[in-house]
Amino acid sequence: MLRVVVAAIVNDMRRAVIGLFAFLFCLAGAAPALAHTGDVTGGFIGGFAHPLFGPDHIAAMVAVGLWGAFLGPPAIFILPIVFPLVMAFGAVLGILGVPVPAVEAGIAVSAAVLGLMVALAARPPLWVAAVIVGTFAIFHGHAHGAELPSGADALAFAAGFVVATGCLHLTGIAFGLLARWPAGRIAVRAAGAVIAVAGLMFLGWLA
Amino acid sequence: MIARAWILVGAVLLLMAGEASAHPVFGITGVRGGLLHPLVVPSHVMSAMALAILIGRQPLGQAMVAVYALGLVAGLCAIAAAYVPTLAEEALLLLAAIAGLLVAWGRPLPWVVVAPLAAAAGLAIGLDSPPEAISIAEANLTLIGTALSGTAFLAVLALLASRLRRDWQRIGLRIAGSWISASAIMVLALRFAGG
Repeated sequence: MLRVVVAAIVNDMRRAVIGLFAFLFCLAGAAPALAHTGDVTGGFIGGFAHPLFGPDHIAAMVAVGLWGAFLGPPAIFILPIVFPLVMAFGAVLGILGVPVPAVEAGIAVSAAVLGLMVALAARPPLWVAAVIVGTFAIFHGHAHGAELPSGADALAFAAGFVVATGCLHLTGIAFGLLARWPAGRIAVRAAGAVIAVAGLMFLGWLA
Repeated sequence: MIARAWILVGAVLLLMAGEASAHPVFGITGVRGGLLHPLVVPSHVMSAMALAILIGRQPLGQAMVAVYALGLVAGLCAIAAAYVPTLAEEALLLLAAIAGLLVAWGRPLPWVVVAPLAAAAGLAIGLDSPPEAISIAEANLTLIGTALSGTAFLAVLALLASRLRRDWQRIGLRIAGSWISASAIMVLALRFAGG
């Protein structure tokens, strides 16, 4: 099944994906309409860059993609759909000031656990994987929700932030697709192990 | 063909946004200002994208575009009649969140669900598009431009979404729906938290 999906992507995606990336590039380069925006740094580019400056966030997001690719369809697309939606719920908690205990530790643990899942080639039922990913998404969302800029450009910031998170998932998925080859499978599991170790290091720095 | 259409839409948005930013406020008036408005306001673009993907995957897509256009015209007529809306953008964000969730859900929907959503989104975009004109004639031209541009934008996006029929393309649309919904939910929370 995974092989069929990969073959379909390789055969069909070229022109459409190039067009889509051109579209996104144009949007990213577009100057804001100033009547509806305030601080430019809080716009799409600011939001897009925001998750890319958190190594713990990057590690966990890539691990989500790796695990999804490792599990194959439908997890390969269910997990990247579940994560942003639950992350938004976590962000709402952060914005409204609802306390969530040990947010930073939760983010570090998310990298460790998700990396470990990949390293161990864990194949739980889809709903279990979704619950694990969704639980950690609350921590990520809470941390970032508290940092959303106020003002009319918050939507552009939030969109950039969510798209960047999705791109990190896609990065993990792209690398995780190597698992269809024996050597690639080892590489993917090794990447999971590296992320797990990084997560433990993040946790150690917090202690 | 689809790739060219995406490039065309992106290029048009790029050019139009560049023009708009040359003004200290959204000061372009007349038909041109109206044409720009639905294409450069983030909440309008995102709600239109979510709704267009939803409509593009329904059997009665063209009728839903017409319903959206009716809602849009109704909202613009209310603005022309000097109605001052409150919470129009918040309503639009809520509708974007709902439409995004339905897209992410990925199931066929009855028209009784999609049609009210399309009408409400059109109405909210219309109510959130007050012209910044100094004369009534110019304001009316701006509203006409908004009606044309808003309807055309949704129709083009819905057409593009309807052309994406392969499995991985449908998955991509569902992921895009989840992104739009997540963004809208976060900003809604921010608005109601007083941000």
